[in-house]
This record gives sequence, C-alpha cells and structure tokens, in this order.
Amino acid sequence: MIYLKDIKKSFNQQPVLKGINLKIGKGEVVTILGPSGSGKTTLLRCLNFLEKPDEGIVQVGDVQVESKKATKREILSLRRQSAMVFQHYNLFAHKTVLENVMEGLIVTKKYKKAEAKRESELLLEKVGLGDKHNYFPSQLSGGQQQRVGIARALALNPEVILFDEPTSALDPELVGEVLSVIKAIAQEGITMVIVTHEMSFAKEVSDRVLFMDRGVIVEEGSPLEIFNAPKEERTRQFLNRISRDFSVSFLEERAN
Amino acid sequence: MGKAFDPSLIVDFIPTLIYYLGVTLQILAASVLLGMVIGIAAAILRLFRIPVLNQFVILYISFIRGTPILIQLFLVFYGLPAILLFINIDISRMDALYFVIITYALSNGAHFAEIFRGAIKAVDYGQTEAAYSVGMNNSQSFFRIVLPQAIRIAFPNIANSIIGSLKDTSLAFTIGVMDMMGRGETLIAATAHALEVYLSLAVIYYAVVLLFEKIFRLYENRINRHQTVDVSVTG
Ligand SMILES: Nc1ncnc2c1ncn2[C@@H]1O[C@H](COP(=O)(O)OP(=O)(O)OP(=O)(O)O)[C@@H](O)[C@H]1O
Ligand SMILES: [Mg+2]
Repeated sequence: MIYLKDIKKSFNQQPVLKGINLKIGKGEVVTILGPSGSGKTTLLRCLNFLEKPDEGIVQVGDVQVESKKATKREILSLRRQSAMVFQHYNLFAHKTVLENVMEGLIVTKKYKKAEAKRESELLLEKVGLGDKHNYFPSQLSGGQQQRVGIARALALNPEVILFDEPTSALDPELVGEVLSVIKAIAQEGITMVIVTHEMSFAKEVSDRVLFMDRGVIVEEGSPLEIFNAPKEERTRQFLNRISRDFSVSFLEERAN
Repeated sequence: MGKAFDPSLIVDFIPTLIYYLGVTLQILAASVLLGMVIGIAAAILRLFRIPVLNQFVILYISFIRGTPILIQLFLVFYGLPAILLFINIDISRMDALYFVIITYALSNGAHFAEIFRGAIKAVDYGQTEAAYSVGMNNSQSFFRIVLPQAIRIAFPNIANSIIGSLKDTSLAFTIGVMDMMGRGETLIAATAHALEVYLSLAVIYYAVVLLFEKIFRLYENRINRHQTVDVSVTG
C-alpha cells in the first residue's frame, strides 16, 4: 500500500532523513510524533514528492518511484495516489469553497462539471459546510478553511491522505471541530498518515504511532505501547516533556 | 508668434481633435495586447531562469527602463527598416502607425514583465503545492491557480501603466502619425492658436484618463470581491 525504502534527504548537506523504511497497510491510520525539526514534515512531503528524496524508493498504491531516476510523469502519477491536508490550509484563494473541492475532480479526475459539483456538495455536507458553498476562503474561520482542505483531499478518493499538523495553526477553540472530522473519516477505513502534536487525538485515532527523532524512526507501535510503555529513552523524554507542557498549559488555562 | 487667446476656439477644436481619438486608442489597444503577450512570456523566462533568454530579457527590460520612449520610437523607426534591409525586407514604406505600435508594445512588454514577475512571486507558494497535491502538473497549476491570482495582484499596476502609455502615445506624431496630437499640430500650423489647441488636447486626454480610471476601478472591485475579509460570518 505505502512502502518506503531507505529514504534519505539532506538540506544543504544537513541530513534530515537518514534512511527511512516504512510499510503502511490499506486502511491504517498512522500518526507521526517527534520533536520539532526531527523530519516529520519532510518525510510526509517525500510521500508525494513535494520534497524529492535524494535516495530511496517511494511507493503509494501501485505506483513505485525510484527517487534518483524519478521522471515528471512518474511524479505526477505518484501524486495522484495521495492527497494532502496542509498546516496552513493552502486553499485556492480565488476559488469558492465549492470550486476548491471541485478543482481536483475536474482537472485531474476529468469529471464533468455537474458530476464534480454533486460529489463536492456531498463532501461539504459531510464536513459540516453545506451552507458555505459560495464563500471564499478569506471569508471563513481557520477551522472552516481546514475542513474545506479536508473535503478537497477526500474528493480525490486517494489511496492515502497525508495530514501535516492539521490543527496547529488554529485557535484552540477551533481545534475540536477539525479533529472530530478527521476522526469521523478515520472510521471509514481511509488510509491516513498524520503528523500531529495533539497527543490525546493521536492516542484515540491511530492504529500505529511512529516516533521520529533526528531523521530516523526511533520507535513504533500501537498507541498503547508508545504512550504507556515506550521502550526507547528518547521517546520517554519526548512524551514527558509534552505531558509536562500540556499540564502547564492546562493549569495556566485553569488559572485564567 | 501666436494670435490673441480665444477660449471659444476650444469648443471648435475639441470635436475636430476627438475625431482622431480612435487612432490614439487603436495604438493603445494594440500595444497593450501585444505588450501583455510579451510581458507574460518575458516574466516566465525570468521566473524559470531559462538560460540565455533570461539574460536577454534582463537586458531588454533595463534598456527600456533606462531610455526615453521618444528615443526608443526613433530607434525603431529608423533602426528596424535598416536591420530588415539586411535580410532584404523593405519596410521603409510601411505606415508609421506600425512603428509606433511596435515601440509601445516593446515598452509595455518590459513594464508588464516586471509587474507580472512580482505578482506571480507574490502568490503564496503553498497554493502551488496544494495544486500539485491534487495532481496538477506544472502548467495546470500555473494557468489555473497562480496566473489568475497574479493578474488580480498585478491589475492596479497594469492599470497605471496603461494610463501612462495612453499619455505616451502623444509622441507618435513625431514620426508623422496622424493621431489627436498629430492633428493638433496641423491645427496649430493652420490657425496659429497653439494654446487653445493644447488646452483642447489637455481636456480630451484628461477626460479619457478619468474614464479609464473609473472603468479600472469598477473592474478591480469586481475581481477582488473574494478578498473582502469578513470574518464575522463564522458559525
Ligand atoms: N526547504 C528546506 N530547506 C532547508 N532546510 C529545510 C527545509 N525544509 C526543512 N528543513 C530542515 O529540515 C529539518 C527537518 O524539518 P521538518 O520540517 O521536516 O521538521 P518537523 O519534524 O516537521 O518539525 P516541526 O515539528 O517543527 O514541524 C529542520 O532542521 C529544517 O530546518
Ligand atoms: Mg513540520
């Protein structure tokens, strides 16, 4: 389904991914945790070649690409296997909510306009934006924009949806609405890879959790294994620090 | 010397001169359209740093920006036939209007190229990545996502540039084009009422510029309707 072999990536001679091997099965929900700068975003972006790996093999669905020899055509067909939900939503600013969702269907899936419209309306209904079709992204809250982003990704009916910190740009009170949409689609058996700092969400939604640090996958396992019985010292330290930050911010919030 | 100032002549001159507004607008329209094509092509060559052509475009733009348009006009008027004569094409009898259009197209092209380049760079790269992520190729993401937004961003500057260009067309008479200005010159020769002629021309140019500004503003409001930030509608 998803298969990564020995993925390496450097920026300015600094290795950021140091040989990532990974298999993800159909319908699996995998979250990636790790400290800032550990390479989570870079790994996710290598999956659709928004970042071209220096070395290694990327396979999504039945499209396999050898990084060093990747042609434009191969990259295009690899990208058509996945969809991505971005930290900063990256909606098409000159298109309405409905057009944002339709765009991929029309351009890459060659849907007829009426068909694309029908499909997109259903999806917008599903993410709770049935009444916002003709709004432009700038007229929506962050949480609404991100739900459009999710609908746009779902519309492509991809083999996998990649999420890069989908809620970290949101005001705290808007995080919930986006996470609950993601949880709902996780239940439908769509394969997802999610980079997140929302620990309780990761615990709840994941089939498997990966912990990354300094360009390698340090540890992986079920949420229970990673959160309750981490084997690696680095994982433990990271989780301790996060839960400490969490309780501090929790207390601060209580105090206010 | 001119004759005594007679403002009532302005009323006579304006209709005579306005009759030639069509030529002025023709020069403007042709040179703006050609300039758009040149400008977008040059901006793309610059943005994608196409070897050799990129350097050529840089030189072209800096030359246009660094020399007066009147001189560019004479260079095209005398230079182009001379160059083409080398390859045995004789255009010395071509209507002067075409030399004007070529010059202004080249001039507009250089200015538009810089405006478009800035505007294309101003479109958030995240949207290009989003376009790739939904499976678009380079040209689909450029023409469907980036360019429409770049045109909106560029529009106010393009509009200013077009208005500047409209006024610059008043130099066309120097190579013998019979536009409003050219007709004005013949009127002066015939009547010796230079001030009245220039006042009439000022009135016409000013009115046309105001009209253009109005149209551009209406259009700008229309294309920018999606940018009316109205966050109160969250629900
Ligand atoms: N385009 C780039 N050019 C240069 N360096 C980059 C680029 N993208 C990422 N890096 C570097 O690669 C390293 C890993 O970055 P990455 O964004 O993958 O980390 P991350 O785990 O997603 O961190 P965060 O949790 O802060 O998002 C960082 O040191 C970053 O500075
Ligand atoms: Mg990141």
